[in-house]
Amino acid sequence: MPKWAMVIDLDKCTGCGACQAACKMENNVAIVSPDEAQQGRVMFWMDMIVTYEGSYPNVHEKRMPKPCFHCENPPCTKVCPVGATYRNEDGLVGQIYHRCIGCRYCMVACPFTVKVFNWKAPKWLDGKLECFNPDVSRRMAGVVEKCSFCAHRLMNIKEEADREDRPIRDGEYVPACAESCPADAIYFGDVENKQSVVYKLSRSYRAFRVMEDLGVEPNVYYLSKRVSW
Amino acid sequence: MNIATKKFLIVVVFSIVILTAGVIYFAFSSYNRYRVLQPLEYSHKAHVESAGMKCTDCHFYVDKMASASIPSLEVCQTCHNDEPVSTSPEEVKLLSYVKEGKEIPWRQVYEVPDHVYFSHRRHVIDGELDCSECHGNMAELTKSVSYQAIPMTMKNCLDCHKQRKVTTDCLACHR
Repeated sequence: MPKWAMVIDLDKCTGCGACQAACKMENNVAIVSPDEAQQGRVMFWMDMIVTYEGSYPNVHEKRMPKPCFHCENPPCTKVCPVGATYRNEDGLVGQIYHRCIGCRYCMVACPFTVKVFNWKAPKWLDGKLECFNPDVSRRMAGVVEKCSFCAHRLMNIKEEADREDRPIRDGEYVPACAESCPADAIYFGDVENKQSVVYKLSRSYRAFRVMEDLGVEPNVYYLSKRVSW
Repeated sequence: MNIATKKFLIVVVFSIVILTAGVIYFAFSSYNRYRVLQPLEYSHKAHVESAGMKCTDCHFYVDKMASASIPSLEVCQTCHNDEPVSTSPEEVKLLSYVKEGKEIPWRQVYEVPDHVYFSHRRHVIDGELDCSECHGNMAELTKSVSYQAIPMTMKNCLDCHKQRKVTTDCLACHR
């Protein structure tokens, strides 16, 4: 079984936010009003963590894209009382919206705070401007949602690969964020396939994972030459 | 009558009303087998037996796409133009639609909810399933399709998936 993983090269990342925009479009993620954003109800499946270092005039801004880490040992699935979030054979942590009761235990359990809650039924641009991805459902109010590593793409690619009776090629399945990155800072692939780019990069001397001492084993690797992040 | 008995009576009456409402609801809406009225009584039997047609002759995208597609008026027009082919009164109705150039407002009977991904191609080509596995024996149907032969419920999907030992991963169908 493949183990899907993402590598984000922070030395290459310019912090442009193209991945965030691509993710919003791909996954029909709701756009909230400025007032709601002030209340902390912004919805991003691909978040951008911005931190500042140093004091004026020597301020350095650090930007770090943060998708769901699809942990090997996910804490969110253990607390879900209804089994709406679970880890499947491919190593993807799925969220089944119609099973979710909106208790938000998983949001509390997640050490990386990647999950977002739908406080309101999302409002969409109406008429001709409405352009949804038909492969992804539109979530209703009162459910928790999160990055799925664009699992709908994997399902389509699996179907294609099964029909041609071959394994999934390296670089065939990429989520929207990796596809859109103008700096090519996001790599995606099977971390157990020794020929894959992700396998090589995840073993690079620059590679690290966030909060590794927790033991949840995230499947998102970051690459950076900087010592502190 | 004291307050306690009054309260008790209110509770009794209220529960009887709710119970009858529930019984009536379930009696009339037994599962998904509600009947849908179609604009005209299309006979699958006449087309399959007399005209010797196959499912894919009209439902073009069964083996190509996720949706099997309900045939448009253009598809009907390839055979039914000006002259009636049969003596059926339903064909007269069809010809009036053809004359006006108006699409027939067919109603979709087999529908999966927004959060479910169902691909006909995946089931027919990869799964090598016959149409009748889900849709029943359409070749015997003389009236229009008005209810689901097998209700499109998750239980029915999962039963078949388990029986054929294919994936029962949530993400394979739920999106």
